[in-house]
This record gives sequence, C-alpha cells and structure tokens, in this order.
Amino acid sequence: MIIFDEVHFSYGDRKILSGVSFSAGFHERVVILGGSGEGKTTILRLILGLIRPDRGKILVDGDDITGKTEGEFRDVRMKFSIVFQEGALFDSLNVKENVAYCLREYTKMSEEQIDAKVRRILSTVGVEHALELMPEELSGGMHRRVSLARSLALSTPRMFLYDEPTTGLDPVNADNICRLISDLSKGGKGFIMVTHKVSDAMKVADRFMFLKDGVLLFDGNGKELLHTAIPAIRAFVSEVRGDDVSGSE
Amino acid sequence: MSVRSVISDLQDFYDISLRGLLGMGSKPFYFKDAIMQMDYAGSGSLMIVFIVDLFVGMALSLQLSAELSRLGLKMYIGMIVGISVVRELGPVVTALVFTGRVGAGMASELGSMVLGRQVDTIRVFGFDPVKKLVTPRIVSSLIMLPALTVIGVAVSLFGGYYIAVFVSHQSGTFYWSSIRNILTLENVLAGAIKPFIFGYIIACICCYSGLSTKGGAVGLRQSTTRAVVLSIVMIIVSDFLLTRILLYVLGFSV
Repeated sequence: MIIFDEVHFSYGDRKILSGVSFSAGFHERVVILGGSGEGKTTILRLILGLIRPDRGKILVDGDDITGKTEGEFRDVRMKFSIVFQEGALFDSLNVKENVAYCLREYTKMSEEQIDAKVRRILSTVGVEHALELMPEELSGGMHRRVSLARSLALSTPRMFLYDEPTTGLDPVNADNICRLISDLSKGGKGFIMVTHKVSDAMKVADRFMFLKDGVLLFDGNGKELLHTAIPAIRAFVSEVRGDDVSGSE
Repeated sequence: MSVRSVISDLQDFYDISLRGLLGMGSKPFYFKDAIMQMDYAGSGSLMIVFIVDLFVGMALSLQLSAELSRLGLKMYIGMIVGISVVRELGPVVTALVFTGRVGAGMASELGSMVLGRQVDTIRVFGFDPVKKLVTPRIVSSLIMLPALTVIGVAVSLFGGYYIAVFVSHQSGTFYWSSIRNILTLENVLAGAIKPFIFGYIIACICCYSGLSTKGGAVGLRQSTTRAVVLSIVMIIVSDFLLTRILLYVLGFSV
C-alpha cells in the first residue's frame, strides 16, 4: 500500500502540493486527474523517490521512504514500473537494446536468452516487429508500448505508474494503450495513472482523484466523479458527463 | 540568483565532479559507455584539432618570422615556436577545440536526456546516473584530450616548420634541432600535465551543466552555452595558475 500523509512539495517558490493525503493499495486501479501543471506527475516522482517532499510522509508497504538514500531506493523502485510521458526511451539505442538494457546490466543471460526474452515481451505489448527500429522511427503509441515493455523486462512490478500514457496520441492509439493498461492490470496488479484525459481515465480505472492547486479535491468512483457538485471538476469532466460509467465501477 | 542557490549549485558541482572521478575506482565499470565516449571525443575531434593546430603553428611561425627577421634572429623561430606550442598553445588551443566540440556535445546530450526523462529512467532502473553518465565522460576526456594534444602539438610544429622553411627560408635541419633542444623533461612536463587537468575540468563542467538542465529548449540552450563559456574561462584561468605553479615546481626562474 502507498500512503501519502500531508505531503507538501514546491519547486522554488512555486507550491505544487499542499498537504496531499491519500492511500492506495497495490491492486487498485487509480487515476489522478487534473489540469497541466497541477502536480500530477510530481506525485509519481515522489513515489519513486526522484524528488523528496518538503514536508509530510510517504509510506510504501509501511516503510517510510522520505528519508531513504538514493542507494536504498532501489528496492522501493523495483516494486513499480513506470511509463513516463513520451516514453523516455534511450534515443541512442534501438528498440531491442532499450528493452534489453536492464537485462544486460543486471543479469548474466546469454545473447540468445536476451533476444528471446525481448521478443516475448515486445509481443506482449504488440510491437515485436519494431525490434530493430530506433526511437525516432516509432510512432507515439509504439513509443509508449516499447517503454512499457522495457519496464517489464527485468522485474514483475507490483504496481504500474503511468504518466500521461495517452497524451498526444490519436483516438485509436489511445484506445489501444488503454486496452493494454487494462490487460496488464488483470492479474491483480494495480496502477496509478495521471492524466488530464477523462475519457481515457474512465476506460481503465475504478478510483478517481482530482488535483487542483496542489490540493486533492476529490477521491471517489467514476459515478461520483461525474455527478460531483464541485465546479472545477464539473467543468473538467463535462466532455464525458452523461456517458455510461457503469463499466468503470 | 540567491547566495543559497549559488552555494547549492557549487555543492552539486563538487559532488558530481568528485563522485564522477571516484567512480573510476569502483564497480560497476561501464567500459562500453567509456569506449563510445572516447570514440566520439577522440576520433570525431581529430580532423578539427588537426586543422586548428596546423594553422595556429603556421600563424605563430609567420608572426615570429616577421618580427625576428627585423632583429636578425630568424634562426630562433624553431626554439620559440617549440616552447610556445609545447608548453602553452598546444594544450590550450586543443582544450578550447575540445570544449567547443566535445564539451558542448556532452552538455546538450545530457541536457536532452534530463528533459526527456531518460536520466530519471536510469535512476528508476537502479543505476547511479553519475557513475553511468559522468564517469565514462571523465574517463574519455582524461584519455582523449591528452592524446589529441600530443597530435595537436606535433601538427603545430609541422605548421611552424612549413612556414620557417618554405616562407622564411630557414634551414629545416636547424628548425628540428632547435625543437629537439627544447624538448627537455621540464618543458614536456609543463605541457603534458595541462591536458589532464583541462580534460577533467571540461568533463565536470559540461556534465554538471547538462545534468542541471531545466525548462525545455531554452533551458537546453542556456545549459549548453553556460557549459562552453564556463569551460573556456576555466581553461584560461587554470592555464595561468598551472603555468605559475609548474614554472615554480620545475625550477624555471621568472
């Protein structure tokens, strides 16, 4: 379980999070909604220890991670698998080498074993044909898929973290990514996804949070989200209000 | 910029510089990364070092020839070109070229990795970004800048030879014997130590600058510019300090 307890964070003088508190089980399918620059990605970076909170506690599996050193964070990070916005593939390596990156560094697998494992993972996410392509030759959707494959290569994470996984994609590709996210969560592995696309969020999540001005304004299910009286959220979800949300509960 | 942020930046810079250097002595070793960096820094810079140092040697020889011929001392061209190039111009000019090509490349590459979240990815995968990204670049600079300097010095001396012999009509044999005479241990040491220091300075400044990139394309431009400008200034300043120290240590009277 991940617990945020009164977490505050600022970049210089700009306050990003002001006393954010929530808890989420590893099996939960959570989406954090909010506009650009509201601190959604900051929450993911805090969970992974890429940045440290100014105040408050973050607990992962009951372990307070706020005081951990960079070296101690490795075990915490191995519990998660993150797909950054735009994929964050190493642009000097082709798809195969991107996915094999951790395998080469951390295992003593032979070249044949690495090749077989990379092909298997790439086929799981549906981009096995892109094995030899460089990142700049991939479409936005393929980028995210390869990034997901890379994060699956070394470990089987307990929870996925998705940073705007469908932003910038056409509806078909966004739909494919949503389907992939749903498929990966079927084995009881939950995720925290941050996005501003309510329609995509509705397709994959059970629980929704809404972040505005560094404060968590809402935490509930899809139906509650669509029928909330909070004006900021009503404006945000107006594009999907009235859709059938029974499937997302 | 507040005093606090300057102190914090300096602290980060020294941390990266020290950990990057110490990373050479502890596992894991990223040999492949270091070799890739050496290929980029070394073979990629060879032609530009060749051209720049050749023309520096020729220009120096030409200037000296013009002045010394008025004094009837043209036979000293070889000696003065040799001392200037071996002790001073060779290391400094090659370091400046290295900064412009390799240093700027380091800063912009690391900066774009930061902006593209590739450095975050490296951390998430459990790697130390300093060891993975900075140490190979320091290793590469510590090996390739001295190697390029040796080549640059040789090319400069040949440039000087060309002007001395074919323009100033001096004896080539005398030119080379003058060069041989100035290639004493003291003179060679005075020039040989500098590229190691310059290489370390360039790698540290450019890696730090790249890794501290913030804020998109403008931030990338600023960090690359800062890396090049700071490196150039530090090369010139440290060259003066090193010259002062080396002259004292090697027993030259000033």
